[in-house]
Amino acid sequence: MIAAPRLRRLTVDERRSLRTALPFIAPWIVGFIAFTLYPIFYSLYLSFTRYSGFGDATPVGFENYAHMASDPLFWQALGNTFYYTALAVPVGVVVAIALAMMMNQNVREVAFYRAAFYLPSILPLFALTFIFIVLLNPGFGLVDYVLELVGLPAVNWLGDAHWTKISIVLLAQLGAGGPALIFLASLRAVPSELYEAAKLEGAGPIRSFYKITLPLITPVILFDIIYGTILGIQIFTPAFVLTGGTSGGGAYTTGPENSLLFYVFYLYKTAFQYSDMGFASAMAWVLFVISVVLAAGIMRWSKGWVHYESG
Amino acid sequence: MALVPGRGVQALILSFLLVAACSTGGGTSSAPPLAGCNSGTKIALFWTSHTPPDTDSEKNIVDAFNKQSNTTCVKMVAVPGSETDIAKLTTAVRGGTGPDVYELDRFTVAERAAAGVLEDLTPYGAANMSGNYLDFAWKEALFKGKPYALPDDTDARVLYYNKDLLQAAGVTDLSALDMSKGAPTIDTIRGMANKVNKKVNGKYTVVGFAPRLNQGWHYTWGFAYGGSFFDAASCKVTPDDPKIVQAFKDMFYDWSAALGVNDLQTFESTYAPDTPPLPTEQDAFLTGHLGFVISGDWVLAWLQKYAPNLHYGITYIPVPHQGDQPATWAGGWSVVIPKGAKNGKGGFEFMKYFAGEPGQRTYAKETTHMPTLKSLLTDSTLFPGDHKLFVAMLPVAHSRPALPVGALYWDQLTIAQSAAEHHSKDPATALKEAATAVNAKLQQYCPLAT
Repeated sequence: MIAAPRLRRLTVDERRSLRTALPFIAPWIVGFIAFTLYPIFYSLYLSFTRYSGFGDATPVGFENYAHMASDPLFWQALGNTFYYTALAVPVGVVVAIALAMMMNQNVREVAFYRAAFYLPSILPLFALTFIFIVLLNPGFGLVDYVLELVGLPAVNWLGDAHWTKISIVLLAQLGAGGPALIFLASLRAVPSELYEAAKLEGAGPIRSFYKITLPLITPVILFDIIYGTILGIQIFTPAFVLTGGTSGGGAYTTGPENSLLFYVFYLYKTAFQYSDMGFASAMAWVLFVISVVLAAGIMRWSKGWVHYESG
Repeated sequence: MALVPGRGVQALILSFLLVAACSTGGGTSSAPPLAGCNSGTKIALFWTSHTPPDTDSEKNIVDAFNKQSNTTCVKMVAVPGSETDIAKLTTAVRGGTGPDVYELDRFTVAERAAAGVLEDLTPYGAANMSGNYLDFAWKEALFKGKPYALPDDTDARVLYYNKDLLQAAGVTDLSALDMSKGAPTIDTIRGMANKVNKKVNGKYTVVGFAPRLNQGWHYTWGFAYGGSFFDAASCKVTPDDPKIVQAFKDMFYDWSAALGVNDLQTFESTYAPDTPPLPTEQDAFLTGHLGFVISGDWVLAWLQKYAPNLHYGITYIPVPHQGDQPATWAGGWSVVIPKGAKNGKGGFEFMKYFAGEPGQRTYAKETTHMPTLKSLLTDSTLFPGDHKLFVAMLPVAHSRPALPVGALYWDQLTIAQSAAEHHSKDPATALKEAATAVNAKLQQYCPLAT
């Protein structure tokens, strides 16, 4: 931890610089206040009202928060989201590290492999989801075809409530290239003399990985876990695209047995389909609190296993 | 190298000018008329969430309108959205960039009017038009007794069957499906359908009848069993009506058990997925994967266009007992003026055309939907072939309760339907939960003005 510097008065030069700088960053400040800060506090106000998005908001006290406790869909959405996050984050870390290690191999074509592994990450999630739908079709999809070829039973990935969330976890791995690049940077920062010393001592590659690589990249693992958790509990796009996003076109509003009713998806439906901005705002604030608690919990937990070189 | 304060002020002004320039884009109140419009006309923006082939017909109506109007030039834009999802509309209206006319599923008009998204059409003289439209369609366009929409089409649901598939499976006597004998029983259909089921490598490639596919909704079977979805006296939704519970048990719970819950799911995910739906030309009935299917009159146009050689027949939706009255339900869309419309007057002029005789005549002919105008329903030239069978059903067709929580109710019924089909809940529990969730929300609007 770095101690906060003590405040002191600005010198004349510094004040002049500040006066010059402020106008340049003014558009950002205005934008931040108008489009971020104001909506944040406005949504807090709305969470205590009944509001359709039009006309006047009617104050209802804590009614929206109380309603959450008795709303089975709220709990189902929360459960689905935790289930997904608990599965997606560890899988994501493992896949990203594996990918980074492959990108870190000392072979001539490494640049090509890096580009190939990273390529799916730059495709829009919307397009990836559509590709995935075809791959996972139980009748003529490639994934089930391969499963059956090796003697495994075919899976109804998107039609069976037990598999829908796992399908989305798999889909999320197509975007593992981003975190893998960060892991790659941290892998390359590990001093090579450590490996050389370990080799001289007779350690094999697996032992080197567990005793040298893994401890030294734990700060990046922590970053990836927190970042992945925050993204995980906000999962929306794949579920929205997979279910057609709407109720009228598809028979299942949010996947079979509501298995893809994620928290933010329910929030979206509440706000824009059921015109209940008050309840949706309350949900947003509860999600914010959950995010803070989770991040704080992970930080606390990390003290036991994250290795800082300076620490 | 620090800038002098004077330059800082200049930078500030420049920055604000840039922000202002970015935020005022798109204001085109004096836009020139589009190609195909008459000079001196003013643009009215029309948004629809429909897709082809329906939008092809809508474009023809817009073109015909633009040709004859000396005041208004309609620009049609296809936008994302669906029966119950109007996120694009609500955000645009709040941002002041909404359209002048929007095509909205009629059963949600009361809900959107209650939320304040729509303009009351009374000042435009819409109230005087009530006598022109079918009674049920007009009632769906009202909220608290005032008109908020003009109904532009309607439809009805029947049981389609694939004659070739049935005959290939040895079902040669199709006399039970003759409409002159009334509605067939569910047992009759089950007996025929079971012979059509076909598996290859343990997976269904043809299913005789999957009751929930296409238009086999909760409402469809609830009405077929004589159920009631809303009790006006107590202002409560009643999806837990014993008749609806029975419908769910027979048509979703027991039916999927008989075919195999997982096997049916796999079939549906392969040939009729909801995630997301296949293009129309790959519809499971049109491609010969279903012996029977519940669907609406628009399928007649699909059959003509995508499967002209398919030998099909039409009969009433099956009923639980011999001699039960056949039941169907009619839905349909409408055109509305969203709040903040910049050219409401021009928009309404177009709405009168679109939901009036010229528009509805074109739409009925080209898409095999039915008009909501009484004057057109007697014009037999609009209903060639089997389409006239649907028109005959309209007088007795049910319609969904037009509630300020219509979209929520639909979703909750769909959730219960999914739970019943997948055996995750028994139908009575699932429907009871739907009732609780919807009534909690409905109470704030009670009593409902008729």
